[in-house]
Amino acid sequence: MDERPEELLVEEARKGGREAFAELARRHERRVHGVALRMAGNVSDADDLAQEVFLTAWKAIGSFRGGSSFYTWLYRIAVNTSLTFLKKRGREKDRAPFDENLPAGAAGRGFSRGPEAGAAMSELAARIAEAVAALPVHFRVAFALVVDQGLSHAAAARVLGCPENTVSWRMHKARKILQARLKPYIEEVRS
Amino acid sequence: MRCATARKRLSDALGGALRPGRKPGVEAHLKVCESCRSYRDGLARIQAGAALPDAHPPEFWAAFERGLERKLAAAEAGRATVVPALAVRRRFAWAAAAAMVLAGAGIWYGLFRPQTAVTEAWVPYEDVLAPLVQAAEADPELAAIVDREVRAAIDEIDPAPDADSVALSAADPLFWEGLTDNELKDILTELEDEARRGGPL
Repeated sequence: MDERPEELLVEEARKGGREAFAELARRHERRVHGVALRMAGNVSDADDLAQEVFLTAWKAIGSFRGGSSFYTWLYRIAVNTSLTFLKKRGREKDRAPFDENLPAGAAGRGFSRGPEAGAAMSELAARIAEAVAALPVHFRVAFALVVDQGLSHAAAARVLGCPENTVSWRMHKARKILQARLKPYIEEVRS
Repeated sequence: MRCATARKRLSDALGGALRPGRKPGVEAHLKVCESCRSYRDGLARIQAGAALPDAHPPEFWAAFERGLERKLAAAEAGRATVVPALAVRRRFAWAAAAAMVLAGAGIWYGLFRPQTAVTEAWVPYEDVLAPLVQAAEADPELAAIVDREVRAAIDEIDPAPDADSVALSAADPLFWEGLTDNELKDILTELEDEARRGGPL
Protein backbone atom coordinates (compact mmCIF):
# COMPACT_ATOMS: atom_id res chain seq x y z
CA MET A 1 0.00 0.00 0.00
CA ASP A 2 1.24 3.47 -0.89
CA GLU A 3 1.97 5.34 2.33
CA ARG A 4 3.21 8.60 0.87
CA PRO A 5 1.62 11.64 2.54
CA GLU A 6 -1.19 13.26 0.63
CA GLU A 7 0.68 16.56 0.25
CA LEU A 8 3.48 14.78 -1.57
CA LEU A 9 1.06 12.99 -3.87
CA VAL A 10 -0.69 16.27 -4.64
CA GLU A 11 2.62 17.94 -5.47
CA GLU A 12 3.64 15.09 -7.77
CA ALA A 13 0.22 15.08 -9.43
CA ARG A 14 0.50 18.83 -10.00
CA LYS A 15 3.73 18.19 -11.91
CA GLY A 16 1.92 15.69 -14.13
CA GLY A 17 2.38 12.51 -12.12
CA ARG A 18 -0.53 10.35 -13.20
CA GLU A 19 0.42 7.51 -10.88
CA ALA A 20 0.36 9.90 -7.90
CA PHE A 21 -3.05 11.19 -8.98
CA ALA A 22 -4.35 7.63 -9.34
CA GLU A 23 -3.31 6.99 -5.73
CA LEU A 24 -5.16 10.14 -4.64
CA ALA A 25 -8.21 8.92 -6.53
CA ARG A 26 -8.00 5.54 -4.78
CA ARG A 27 -7.95 7.26 -1.40
CA HIS A 28 -10.98 9.43 -2.13
CA GLU A 29 -13.04 7.30 -4.52
CA ARG A 30 -15.52 6.08 -1.90
CA ARG A 31 -16.26 9.58 -0.64
CA VAL A 32 -16.65 11.03 -4.11
CA HIS A 33 -18.76 8.09 -5.21
CA GLY A 34 -20.93 8.59 -2.12
CA VAL A 35 -21.64 12.22 -3.03
CA ALA A 36 -22.29 11.21 -6.62
CA LEU A 37 -24.66 8.43 -5.56
CA ARG A 38 -26.64 10.74 -3.29
CA MET A 39 -26.92 13.35 -6.02
CA ALA A 40 -27.50 11.06 -9.02
CA GLY A 41 -29.78 8.62 -7.22
CA ASN A 42 -28.51 5.45 -8.92
CA VAL A 43 -25.25 3.52 -9.09
CA SER A 44 -24.85 3.64 -12.86
CA ASP A 45 -25.03 7.43 -13.08
CA ALA A 46 -22.96 7.72 -9.90
CA ASP A 47 -20.14 5.71 -11.54
CA ASP A 48 -20.03 8.03 -14.54
CA LEU A 49 -20.35 11.09 -12.34
CA ALA A 50 -17.54 10.05 -10.00
CA GLN A 51 -15.21 9.31 -12.90
CA GLU A 52 -16.09 12.68 -14.40
CA VAL A 53 -15.18 14.31 -11.07
CA PHE A 54 -11.74 12.70 -11.06
CA LEU A 55 -11.18 13.48 -14.72
CA THR A 56 -12.02 17.14 -14.10
CA ALA A 57 -9.73 17.17 -11.08
CA TRP A 58 -6.89 15.63 -13.13
CA LYS A 59 -7.26 18.28 -15.80
CA ALA A 60 -7.35 21.06 -13.20
CA ILE A 61 -4.78 19.76 -10.70
CA GLY A 62 -2.14 22.09 -12.14
CA SER A 63 -4.15 25.07 -10.94
CA PHE A 64 -4.63 23.67 -7.41
CA ARG A 65 -2.59 25.97 -5.16
CA GLY A 66 -3.28 24.32 -1.85
CA GLY A 67 -5.35 27.22 -0.53
CA SER A 68 -7.76 24.61 0.82
CA SER A 69 -7.24 20.96 1.61
CA PHE A 70 -7.26 18.55 -1.30
CA TYR A 71 -10.47 16.84 -0.20
CA THR A 72 -12.27 20.21 0.12
CA TRP A 73 -11.18 21.03 -3.42
CA LEU A 74 -12.23 17.58 -4.64
CA TYR A 75 -15.63 17.80 -2.91
CA ARG A 76 -16.17 21.19 -4.53
CA ILE A 77 -15.57 19.65 -7.95
CA ALA A 78 -17.88 16.78 -7.01
CA VAL A 79 -20.68 19.16 -6.03
CA ASN A 80 -20.28 21.35 -9.11
CA THR A 81 -20.10 18.35 -11.43
CA SER A 82 -23.20 16.87 -9.78
CA LEU A 83 -25.17 20.08 -10.17
CA THR A 84 -24.18 20.31 -13.83
CA PHE A 85 -25.13 16.68 -14.30
CA LEU A 86 -28.54 17.22 -12.72
CA LYS A 87 -29.17 20.24 -14.90
CA LYS A 88 -28.36 18.20 -17.97
CA ARG A 89 -30.55 15.36 -16.93
CA GLY A 90 -33.37 17.72 -16.22
CA ARG A 91 -34.47 15.67 -13.31
CA GLU A 92 -35.02 18.70 -11.11
CA LYS A 93 -37.24 20.33 -13.71
CA ASP A 94 -39.28 17.22 -14.31
CA ARG A 95 -39.81 16.45 -10.65
CA ALA A 96 -43.30 17.13 -9.33
CA PRO A 97 -43.60 20.11 -6.94
CA PHE A 98 -42.65 19.08 -3.44
CA ASP A 99 -45.42 18.71 -0.89
CA GLU A 100 -44.02 18.24 2.58
CA ASN A 101 -47.36 17.01 3.89
CA LEU A 102 -47.42 14.14 1.40
CA PRO A 103 -46.10 10.94 2.98
CA ALA A 104 -43.14 9.45 1.13
CA GLY A 105 -44.12 6.69 -1.26
CA ALA A 106 -47.80 7.54 -1.01
CA ALA A 107 -48.13 7.88 -4.76
CA GLY A 108 -45.93 4.92 -5.55
CA ARG A 109 -45.08 2.02 -3.34
CA GLY A 110 -47.71 1.21 -0.68
CA PHE A 111 -46.79 1.24 2.97
CA SER A 112 -47.78 -1.95 4.69
CA ARG A 113 -48.79 -1.48 8.31
CA GLY A 114 -47.96 -3.94 11.05
CA PRO A 115 -44.69 -5.45 9.72
CA GLU A 116 -42.16 -6.85 12.09
CA ALA A 117 -39.52 -4.47 13.46
CA GLY A 118 -36.59 -5.48 11.17
CA ALA A 119 -38.67 -5.22 8.02
CA ALA A 120 -40.03 -1.89 9.22
CA MET A 121 -36.48 -0.57 9.68
CA SER A 122 -35.38 -1.51 6.15
CA GLU A 123 -38.62 -0.05 4.85
CA LEU A 124 -37.78 3.11 6.76
CA ALA A 125 -34.29 3.20 5.21
CA ALA A 126 -35.81 2.95 1.74
CA ARG A 127 -38.30 5.71 2.57
CA ILE A 128 -35.52 7.89 3.91
CA ALA A 129 -33.53 7.41 0.71
CA GLU A 130 -36.57 8.37 -1.37
CA ALA A 131 -37.28 11.40 0.79
CA VAL A 132 -33.68 12.60 0.65
CA ALA A 133 -33.67 12.15 -3.13
CA ALA A 134 -36.75 14.36 -3.30
CA LEU A 135 -35.16 17.21 -1.32
CA PRO A 136 -34.48 20.47 -3.16
CA VAL A 137 -31.03 20.17 -4.63
CA HIS A 138 -29.20 22.63 -2.34
CA PHE A 139 -30.63 20.91 0.74
CA ARG A 140 -29.60 17.55 -0.69
CA VAL A 141 -26.04 18.70 -1.29
CA ALA A 142 -25.79 19.93 2.30
CA PHE A 143 -27.29 16.64 3.53
CA ALA A 144 -24.79 14.62 1.46
CA LEU A 145 -21.83 16.51 2.88
CA VAL A 146 -22.92 16.74 6.52
CA VAL A 147 -24.80 13.48 7.10
CA ASP A 148 -23.29 11.13 4.51
CA GLN A 149 -19.74 12.41 4.56
CA GLY A 150 -19.66 13.53 8.17
CA LEU A 151 -18.34 17.01 7.41
CA SER A 152 -18.80 19.73 10.01
CA HIS A 153 -20.99 22.66 9.04
CA ALA A 154 -17.83 24.76 8.73
CA ALA A 155 -16.15 22.26 6.41
CA ALA A 156 -19.29 21.90 4.29
CA ALA A 157 -19.47 25.69 4.07
CA ARG A 158 -15.90 25.77 2.71
CA VAL A 159 -16.84 23.21 0.06
CA LEU A 160 -19.98 25.07 -0.93
CA GLY A 161 -18.42 28.51 -0.71
CA CYS A 162 -21.13 29.87 1.57
CA PRO A 163 -21.33 31.00 5.23
CA GLU A 164 -21.47 28.30 7.89
CA ASN A 165 -24.82 29.65 9.04
CA THR A 166 -26.25 28.95 5.59
CA VAL A 167 -25.30 25.30 5.91
CA SER A 168 -26.90 25.19 9.39
CA TRP A 169 -30.17 26.59 8.07
CA ARG A 170 -30.20 24.30 5.04
CA MET A 171 -29.68 21.31 7.29
CA HIS A 172 -32.42 22.45 9.63
CA LYS A 173 -34.84 22.92 6.73
CA ALA A 174 -33.85 19.58 5.21
CA ARG A 175 -34.40 17.75 8.50
CA LYS A 176 -37.71 19.50 9.00
CA ILE A 177 -38.90 18.42 5.55
CA LEU A 178 -37.72 14.85 6.08
CA GLN A 179 -39.37 14.72 9.49
CA ALA A 180 -42.68 15.86 8.00
CA ARG A 181 -42.55 13.38 5.13
CA LEU A 182 -41.37 10.42 7.17
CA LYS A 183 -43.43 10.95 10.31
CA PRO A 184 -45.86 8.06 9.64
CA TYR A 185 -43.03 5.58 9.10
CA ILE A 186 -41.02 6.76 12.09
CA GLU A 187 -44.04 6.28 14.34
CA GLU A 188 -44.58 2.83 12.84
CA VAL A 189 -41.03 1.80 13.75
CA ARG A 190 -41.39 3.36 17.18
CA SER A 191 -44.55 1.35 17.92
CA MET B 1 -37.37 28.92 24.58
CA ARG B 2 -39.70 28.60 21.62
CA CYS B 3 -40.08 25.21 19.93
CA ALA B 4 -38.84 26.62 16.59
CA THR B 5 -35.61 27.77 18.24
CA ALA B 6 -35.16 24.47 20.07
CA ARG B 7 -35.61 22.49 16.82
CA LYS B 8 -33.06 24.58 14.95
CA ARG B 9 -30.61 23.94 17.78
CA LEU B 10 -31.41 20.24 17.78
CA SER B 11 -30.41 20.16 14.11
CA ASP B 12 -27.19 22.02 14.93
CA ALA B 13 -26.48 19.52 17.71
CA LEU B 14 -26.84 16.58 15.30
CA GLY B 15 -24.35 18.27 12.98
CA GLY B 16 -21.95 18.93 15.86
CA ALA B 17 -22.43 22.67 15.42
CA LEU B 18 -24.29 23.58 18.61
CA ARG B 19 -22.39 26.07 20.74
CA PRO B 20 -21.69 24.62 24.17
CA GLY B 21 -23.36 27.56 25.90
CA ARG B 22 -26.68 26.77 24.22
CA LYS B 23 -26.89 23.14 25.22
CA PRO B 24 -28.38 23.69 28.74
CA GLY B 25 -31.21 25.79 27.33
CA VAL B 26 -32.13 23.11 24.79
CA GLU B 27 -32.03 20.37 27.42
CA ALA B 28 -34.23 22.40 29.73
CA HIS B 29 -36.75 22.89 26.92
CA LEU B 30 -36.81 19.18 26.10
CA LYS B 31 -37.66 18.32 29.69
CA VAL B 32 -40.90 20.23 29.47
CA CYS B 33 -41.83 19.75 25.75
CA GLU B 34 -42.94 16.32 24.64
CA SER B 35 -43.43 17.46 21.04
CA CYS B 36 -39.79 18.53 20.74
CA ARG B 37 -38.63 15.30 22.39
CA SER B 38 -40.54 13.40 19.75
CA TYR B 39 -39.03 15.62 17.07
CA ARG B 40 -35.53 14.95 18.40
CA ASP B 41 -36.11 11.17 18.35
CA GLY B 42 -37.39 11.38 14.79
CA LEU B 43 -34.30 13.30 13.68
CA ALA B 44 -32.05 10.73 15.30
CA ARG B 45 -33.84 7.87 13.50
CA ILE B 46 -33.58 9.64 10.16
CA GLN B 47 -29.91 10.33 10.74
CA ALA B 48 -29.25 6.69 11.60
CA GLY B 49 -31.31 5.34 8.70
CA ALA B 50 -29.86 7.67 6.10
CA ALA B 51 -26.39 6.12 6.02
CA LEU B 52 -25.43 5.02 2.53
CA PRO B 53 -24.43 1.38 2.60
CA ASP B 54 -21.00 0.69 1.15
CA ALA B 55 -22.15 -2.54 -0.41
CA HIS B 56 -19.71 -2.50 -3.29
CA PRO B 57 -17.29 -5.45 -3.37
CA PRO B 58 -13.56 -4.95 -4.06
CA GLU B 59 -14.14 -6.00 -7.70
CA PHE B 60 -16.41 -2.99 -8.13
CA TRP B 61 -13.67 -0.60 -7.04
CA ALA B 62 -11.06 -2.38 -9.13
CA ALA B 63 -13.26 -1.94 -12.21
CA PHE B 64 -13.87 1.68 -11.26
CA GLU B 65 -10.14 2.32 -11.02
CA ARG B 66 -9.43 0.61 -14.35
CA GLY B 67 -12.07 2.72 -16.05
CA LEU B 68 -10.70 5.88 -14.49
CA GLU B 69 -7.14 4.98 -15.51
CA ARG B 70 -8.28 4.59 -19.11
CA LYS B 71 -9.93 8.01 -19.05
CA LEU B 72 -6.89 9.67 -17.47
CA ALA B 73 -4.59 8.12 -20.08
CA ALA B 74 -6.88 9.26 -22.88
CA ALA B 75 -7.01 12.78 -21.44
CA GLU B 76 -3.22 12.89 -21.18
CA ALA B 77 -2.77 11.63 -24.75
CA GLY B 78 -5.25 14.22 -25.96
CA ARG B 79 -3.39 16.94 -24.11
CA ALA B 80 -0.06 15.82 -25.63
CA THR B 81 -1.41 16.04 -29.17
CA VAL B 82 -3.23 19.27 -28.61
CA VAL B 83 -0.21 21.24 -27.38
CA PRO B 84 1.88 21.00 -30.59
CA ALA B 85 -1.20 21.80 -32.66
CA LEU B 86 -1.70 24.92 -30.59
CA ALA B 87 1.96 25.83 -30.98
CA VAL B 88 1.72 25.47 -34.77
CA ARG B 89 -1.38 27.63 -34.86
CA ARG B 90 0.36 30.24 -32.69
CA ARG B 91 3.42 30.33 -34.98
CA PHE B 92 1.15 30.69 -38.00
CA ALA B 93 -0.66 33.57 -36.32
CA TRP B 94 2.63 35.38 -35.62
CA ALA B 95 3.78 34.86 -39.20
CA ALA B 96 0.48 36.18 -40.56
CA ALA B 97 0.67 39.21 -38.27
CA ALA B 98 4.24 39.96 -39.37
CA ALA B 99 3.26 39.66 -43.05
CA MET B 100 0.36 42.06 -42.50
CA VAL B 101 2.61 44.61 -40.80
CA LEU B 102 5.16 44.43 -43.64
CA ALA B 103 2.44 44.78 -46.27
CA GLY B 104 1.00 47.78 -44.43
CA ALA B 105 4.40 49.42 -44.22
CA GLY B 106 4.97 48.82 -47.93
CA ILE B 107 1.63 50.34 -48.88
CA TRP B 108 2.26 53.33 -46.64
CA TYR B 109 5.69 53.89 -48.17
CA GLY B 110 4.29 53.60 -51.68
CA LEU B 111 1.58 56.16 -51.04
CA PHE B 112 3.22 58.67 -48.71
CA ARG B 113 7.00 58.46 -49.23
CA PRO B 114 8.80 61.87 -49.62
CA GLN B 115 8.87 63.07 -53.22
CA THR B 116 12.49 63.76 -54.10
CA ALA B 117 12.27 64.46 -57.84
CA VAL B 118 13.68 67.94 -58.27
CA THR B 119 11.38 68.95 -61.10
CA GLU B 120 8.24 67.96 -59.18
CA ALA B 121 9.49 69.68 -56.04
CA TRP B 122 9.89 72.98 -57.86
CA VAL B 123 6.42 73.09 -59.38
CA PRO B 124 4.54 74.63 -56.39
CA TYR B 125 7.12 77.48 -56.13
CA GLU B 126 7.42 78.28 -59.84
CA ASP B 127 5.14 81.36 -59.84
CA VAL B 128 6.79 82.83 -56.75
CA LEU B 129 10.37 82.24 -57.85
CA ALA B 130 10.06 83.49 -61.46
CA PRO B 131 9.98 87.27 -60.55
CA LEU B 132 12.81 86.74 -58.10
CA VAL B 133 14.98 85.05 -60.71
CA GLN B 134 14.23 87.92 -63.15
CA ALA B 135 15.24 90.53 -60.56
CA ALA B 136 18.43 88.56 -59.81
CA GLU B 137 19.48 88.76 -63.45
CA ALA B 138 19.78 92.54 -63.05
CA ASP B 139 21.51 92.44 -59.66
CA PRO B 140 24.69 90.25 -59.32
CA GLU B 141 24.63 90.41 -55.54
CA LEU B 142 21.02 89.24 -55.43
CA ALA B 143 21.83 86.62 -58.05
CA ALA B 144 24.55 85.19 -55.82
CA ILE B 145 22.18 84.99 -52.87
CA VAL B 146 19.44 83.36 -54.96
CA ASP B 147 21.91 80.96 -56.48
CA ARG B 148 23.20 79.95 -53.07
CA GLU B 149 19.71 79.45 -51.65
CA VAL B 150 18.50 77.51 -54.69
CA ARG B 151 21.49 75.20 -54.58
CA ALA B 152 21.01 74.67 -50.86
CA ALA B 153 17.37 73.82 -51.47
CA ILE B 154 18.29 71.39 -54.22
CA ASP B 155 20.86 69.71 -52.00
CA GLU B 156 18.28 69.39 -49.29
CA ILE B 157 15.68 67.83 -51.60
CA ASP B 158 18.03 65.76 -53.74
CA PRO B 159 21.38 65.33 -52.02
CA ALA B 160 24.38 64.95 -54.29
CA PRO B 161 26.05 61.53 -54.40
CA ASP B 162 28.87 61.22 -51.98
CA ALA B 163 32.25 62.54 -53.05
CA ASP B 164 33.82 59.11 -53.18
CA SER B 165 31.43 57.76 -55.79
CA VAL B 166 31.79 60.98 -57.92
CA ALA B 167 35.54 60.79 -57.84
CA LEU B 168 35.43 57.10 -58.67
CA SER B 169 33.33 57.52 -61.83
CA ALA B 170 35.37 60.55 -62.97
CA ALA B 171 38.58 58.69 -62.50
CA ASP B 172 37.44 55.58 -64.32
CA PRO B 173 40.21 55.16 -66.92
CA LEU B 174 38.19 52.67 -68.88
CA PHE B 175 35.14 54.95 -69.34
CA TRP B 176 36.17 56.34 -72.72
CA GLU B 177 37.75 53.09 -73.80
CA GLY B 178 34.41 51.28 -73.58
CA LEU B 179 32.49 53.68 -75.85
CA THR B 180 31.72 52.81 -79.47
CA ASP B 181 32.39 55.17 -82.38
CA ASN B 182 28.68 56.04 -82.64
CA GLU B 183 28.48 56.87 -78.93
CA LEU B 184 31.56 59.10 -79.20
CA LYS B 185 29.97 60.76 -82.21
CA ASP B 186 26.73 61.45 -80.26
CA ILE B 187 28.66 62.98 -77.37
CA LEU B 188 30.56 65.22 -79.75
CA THR B 189 27.30 66.36 -81.37
CA GLU B 190 25.78 67.23 -77.95
CA LEU B 191 28.89 69.21 -76.97
CA GLU B 192 28.74 71.19 -80.21
CA ASP B 193 25.04 71.96 -79.63
CA GLU B 194 25.79 73.17 -76.12
CA ALA B 195 28.63 75.36 -77.44
CA ARG B 196 26.23 76.94 -79.93
CA ARG B 197 23.75 77.66 -77.07
CA GLY B 198 26.46 79.37 -75.04
CA GLY B 199 28.10 76.49 -73.29
CA PRO B 200 27.10 74.34 -70.30
CA LEU B 201 25.56 76.05 -67.29
